[in-house]
Amino acid sequence: MGTNCRHVFDRLQSFATCWKKNSTPTGRRVFHRDVEKEEFQYASTQCLSSYYSVFVVRLAIMAMLAILIGLLTFLTWHFTKIYTTKSLNSLAYDLRYELLQRPILRMWNILNSTSEITTAQVKLSQYVIRSHTNLATQADQVEMYDAMRAVTWALFASKRALNSITVKYKNGFVQAFHRDLKDNNTFYIYSDISNYSMASSGYNEINSLSPHEAWNDKDIHGNKSAIWYREPLDPVSGEKIGKVMPIAPEDSINIAGLSQVPDGVASWHVAVSKFTDSPLLSAALPVWDASNKSIEAVVGVTTALYSVGQLMKELVELHSGHMYLTSQEGYLLATSTNAPLLSNSTKPPKLKMAVDCENEVIREGAQWLQKTYGNNSPQSHEVHVENIKLGRQQYYIDSFFLNLKRLPLVHFKTLHLLLMVDLMCNIVLKILQLSKEDQVGVIIIPRKHIMGQADERAFKTLVILISASLCIIVIGCVCILILTNGVSKEMKLRAELISHLEARRKAEASSNYKSQFLANMSHELRTPMAAVIGLLDILISDDHLTNEQCATVTQIRKCSTALLRLLNNILDLSKVESGKLILEDAEFDLGRELEGLVDMFSVQCINYNVETVLDLSDDMPKLVRGDSARVVQIFANLINNSIKFTLSGHIVLRGWCENPNSCSDDTSFSLEEKKSRCSQKTKAKQHQNHAKRISNRDNKMKLWFEVDDTGCGIDPSKWESVFESFEQADPSTTRLHGGTGLGLCIVRTLVNKMGGEIKVVKKEGPGTLMRLYLRLSAPVDASEQHCQADFANKGLVVLLALQGNMGRSVTSKWLQKNGVVTMEASEWNGLTQTLRILFHARSSAQNNGFDANYSIHDNLKSKLLSIQELRNPVFAIAVDIGLLDLSTDIWKEQLNFLHKYFGRAKFVWILNHDSSNTIKMELCKKGHTLTVNKPFYKTKMIHILEAIIKERNDELPKKNMTPKARLKEGNLHESLEIDYTQCDVASSDGSDISEVGSSKHVSVSQDKQREKIVRSNPPSQHQINNFVELTNEYMEDSNPTKEELCQSSLNSNDVTANVTPKSSSTKQTSFATVAQGEDSEYGETRKVSSSSRAVSAKKSLEGLRILLAEDTPVIQRVATIMLEKMGATVVAVGDGQQAVDALNGIPGVEDCRRESLLKERSTRSSQTEILSYPPYDLILMDCQMPKMDGYEATKAIRKSEVGTGLHIPIVALTAHAMSCDEAKCLEVGMDAYLTKPIDFKLMESTILSLTRRTW
Amino acid sequence: MDGIVQLQRQLVDYNASLFHEGFLDDQFNQLQQLQDESNPDFVVEVVTLFFEDADRLLNELTKALGQPSIDFKRLDAHVHQLKGSSSSIGAQRVHRVCISFRNSCEEQNVEGCLKNLQQVKHEYSLVKSKLETLFRMEQQVLAAGGSVSR
Repeated sequence: MGTNCRHVFDRLQSFATCWKKNSTPTGRRVFHRDVEKEEFQYASTQCLSSYYSVFVVRLAIMAMLAILIGLLTFLTWHFTKIYTTKSLNSLAYDLRYELLQRPILRMWNILNSTSEITTAQVKLSQYVIRSHTNLATQADQVEMYDAMRAVTWALFASKRALNSITVKYKNGFVQAFHRDLKDNNTFYIYSDISNYSMASSGYNEINSLSPHEAWNDKDIHGNKSAIWYREPLDPVSGEKIGKVMPIAPEDSINIAGLSQVPDGVASWHVAVSKFTDSPLLSAALPVWDASNKSIEAVVGVTTALYSVGQLMKELVELHSGHMYLTSQEGYLLATSTNAPLLSNSTKPPKLKMAVDCENEVIREGAQWLQKTYGNNSPQSHEVHVENIKLGRQQYYIDSFFLNLKRLPLVHFKTLHLLLMVDLMCNIVLKILQLSKEDQVGVIIIPRKHIMGQADERAFKTLVILISASLCIIVIGCVCILILTNGVSKEMKLRAELISHLEARRKAEASSNYKSQFLANMSHELRTPMAAVIGLLDILISDDHLTNEQCATVTQIRKCSTALLRLLNNILDLSKVESGKLILEDAEFDLGRELEGLVDMFSVQCINYNVETVLDLSDDMPKLVRGDSARVVQIFANLINNSIKFTLSGHIVLRGWCENPNSCSDDTSFSLEEKKSRCSQKTKAKQHQNHAKRISNRDNKMKLWFEVDDTGCGIDPSKWESVFESFEQADPSTTRLHGGTGLGLCIVRTLVNKMGGEIKVVKKEGPGTLMRLYLRLSAPVDASEQHCQADFANKGLVVLLALQGNMGRSVTSKWLQKNGVVTMEASEWNGLTQTLRILFHARSSAQNNGFDANYSIHDNLKSKLLSIQELRNPVFAIAVDIGLLDLSTDIWKEQLNFLHKYFGRAKFVWILNHDSSNTIKMELCKKGHTLTVNKPFYKTKMIHILEAIIKERNDELPKKNMTPKARLKEGNLHESLEIDYTQCDVASSDGSDISEVGSSKHVSVSQDKQREKIVRSNPPSQHQINNFVELTNEYMEDSNPTKEELCQSSLNSNDVTANVTPKSSSTKQTSFATVAQGEDSEYGETRKVSSSSRAVSAKKSLEGLRILLAEDTPVIQRVATIMLEKMGATVVAVGDGQQAVDALNGIPGVEDCRRESLLKERSTRSSQTEILSYPPYDLILMDCQMPKMDGYEATKAIRKSEVGTGLHIPIVALTAHAMSCDEAKCLEVGMDAYLTKPIDFKLMESTILSLTRRTW
Repeated sequence: MDGIVQLQRQLVDYNASLFHEGFLDDQFNQLQQLQDESNPDFVVEVVTLFFEDADRLLNELTKALGQPSIDFKRLDAHVHQLKGSSSSIGAQRVHRVCISFRNSCEEQNVEGCLKNLQQVKHEYSLVKSKLETLFRMEQQVLAAGGSVSR
């Protein structure tokens, strides 16, 4: 029951804890989303079940423990108790038995001795009587009586326990000895002898036939008449010590008469004397005469049972308890108490029944016995009863039936004497048959006496055991709780872990969804963008556009392309986040990419009155290997960011190289320069560290970049967090500038991906300084590509009249480093002053040395001095158009002022994007043809200087210049022009455009130039946008050359027009492969004539054999034509199996058919020599084909190549646009990857790069 | 001469409208650029090839979708082919429907497939008629002695 209760309680408790645990975390996670809630419910049910199991286990263990310990306790108690009780019981039984046995033995002894004495008395009496047979005289009689007295006394004295011995003669004479046990007196009692004569002998005769009646009468009569005497005796000697006193007959003792031996046999009875309060056992025997015919006398012996009681008392004193002895009828014979055995209420006294005993215990015990067994208790049935409640205590009750059958009065046995009730004493006793002379001994012992200690101990043991086991159970339960607490804790943790795993899985799934969504979205967005770009291309190709419109549209197109790129970036970000971004590794011109970038942003900057400056150190490698698109993306994001937050001032993109291999003076110088500029002491240390690290990798070099702006800056505490996604330095900027905060995240991801780092660096003054480095590997010959024109000894003097301080100082520093003397002016007045100083000083110096009238700075002085040292100085004056006052017409006067110096110096005009055409026309009119657009950076400067030097060199032999040389020069200019075109138009789209564009232009439009010039509107000839004109030589010539100039400018316009449609398809162009090819060709541009170059580009795939595996006839046809156009020989097959067969030299039937078809089709081209045994240079493989798809085919081909050392390039053609397909393609062994629809140029460049590799 | 100019103008306009309305995309331009003296009828040839191929594929698709148990894998392969060839000639609306068709195939969405098939058929017939008109106009221009400027 108890365990049950605990069960229920535990269950309740477990419920409660479960509920509690349930409720608390819910509260904690209340803000979380539904998904998590759901999840949590799932987890909590799991938790709940686990809690259940834990608690069930707990309960089971507890219940088992309880049962076990309870059992143990019970068993221990049981065994100890039972066995001790048993042994104690047996011991107690023995004790009781022993205790009872002893009074009974005493009883037995008493009976025995009584009978013996009696017998002895009888024998002696017989002898005495027989020896005095003839009692003739009184004297004889007296003599006989004396003899009798002596004999009797001897017997009486020998047995001290005897109460009395009586002898009653036939004639009624009585002799008796009596011992009063109370006061220890001994008396001799005799009747008056004179009354008894021999006459009685007459009676004898008369009554011989019926002696019994004679005795009876005599007795009756004699009793009435006789006088008895009592004389006290010395108990030891028997001498008479007192006076003889006459007493009433039968007064003191009862004398056994003839009536007691009616049949002449011995009789026993229990008598009560009035002198003693204890019952007496009396025995009577007749004394027969010699002839054995008549009874001479009757001998009676009484023994007090007092000693039995005494013994009982002693025993009881020793052992406690109560004992009593009853006759079978229930009369008390002896008790261990002092309670009177005789009832005093009745006269004469009478023996008490045991049930009437004054002692409570005895009475109750007797009553209990009577109640239980009734009056007719089974004979010879011993009663042993334990634990009887008498009064307030428990008792053992044992009763024995004492069978007196074996009394030594054997010869009396047959007599069956009834113990006669002594009528004289009026004591009514139940007469017992001798054979049934059974007595009942009852012992009542309190249980406490025997079992008291045992019970107490048992109880104590039980209590101790129970409490101990309870303690153990409690401790065990606590232990179990503690132990299972750990388990449940673990369960909880595990459940939490499971829920976390679940949450992570969900999060990953949702992230996947996000990526999927982004990919889909970018696709959806790209489509309309493609449409926009396409429409713009159509617009650009429209001949009716004015040049301004054309420029605007071109700008729109650029921006659209940028937008498209942004969309691609979003896709990139999802790629990067999923770890799928793979960086390309291809060569590209870092400088040009950055220039293009600055060009692009400068347009934006002008609106903000911000100066964009590109400051790349000379040691930067021209070509690096890497992912150009990503690099540009990095800087685009950074600059974009800077522009957003910079309202005025400048944005500088600095770059320098840290290459331990080329630690020349240049490097250290540039480093020092940077150091001084940024006053960063830690930087040097960083450099050292990084230098050490980088020296391990010889191939890679570390390119450092800084994007420095003068914007609002970033709080230092946010320097780290701005790179997190969706994190903006100031949340309020979103409203002002827009943006999502993704830009810097992408930047950092990309930078890290390129093995670099980016961080915000402390900067003096307002603004932000982002510093990053990239690890890019340069081609082996990178150092040679530091195309560094040497301007040191050319005698160049450059006057920089630029508005932007930063750009001016950067340019000037760079020029000075390269040995060019520079002077600076920041506004119009400064410019005029400097000009004046310069030329006047110069003239004065020519005349009479230095003119001290002009107050000039020391700085300027030293410069002037150095200028004076130059032998043949060439002055170049770079004038920012912004210096002129354009708001009024003053600029014309200013222009005229400057024009004064026209002959003496070369003017380079730096125009804004929005410079008006009137100014340009004015400039053109005045012959200022060297114009560049802002931003003004190193490369442009180099070109200008080169042009100036070249011009100067040409000036001397100008007169005898051959037309050929002039043509060559023209070509050079053209190429320069193209270069700028490219810078302007193509920089954001990809550098490959220029190549194709120029080739196209040159090859296609050259023939039609004339016609076009005729067709185009005359005014537009002079509107030359966005191009640097280096054709000042034409200016010296007359109109025809001018026309030529216009033509060339038109050409370049054409270039733009023709290029742009192409560029729309370059969205996914891999710049690198093209850049490689392009760059080499770019180098050629200066030497090879354009026509030959065009031819080479046109038939770029001349002589290549290409196997095309494509199942769709349309695509097959398109691709074939495309490839054939490039001069390749194409064999087309329908599926992968055929491709494999064709490669193994077993062309299938279909192949033959197709081939023949192809042959038919292209008889005019050089395809007739298609061989049936094709050593193909390349395979174009569609991925999804019937029978055997591209992947399988590639695998098969690669397998067959194993061991041959061959490796045929395989290019995948697939309509799957995702990059995972690319990965799959590359995995099976393909070399490159083209997406459908096939892009003409991309295919060409890819094929070229692959086949070139095999050459 | 005026007639020719008008015809040419019409042709250019029509061509532009095709691009505007999204029937054709840049790929078609490329095709036209590929056409030169060596392959004077290249575009027509390729487009005719496309028509044949597309007719066949559409038949196959109709058949496949009419069957009680649809083999989505085969369906997908057919649509993929159609997608490839349509993108190759620049029929981008067909191409786009093909993409959604493929999505339906991947989802094994019969209803969507049927809807997409109808759409593909519709777009295909549209682009077919448009292209035929275009070619007819080109023929007219050529017949009139003009040149088809690209």
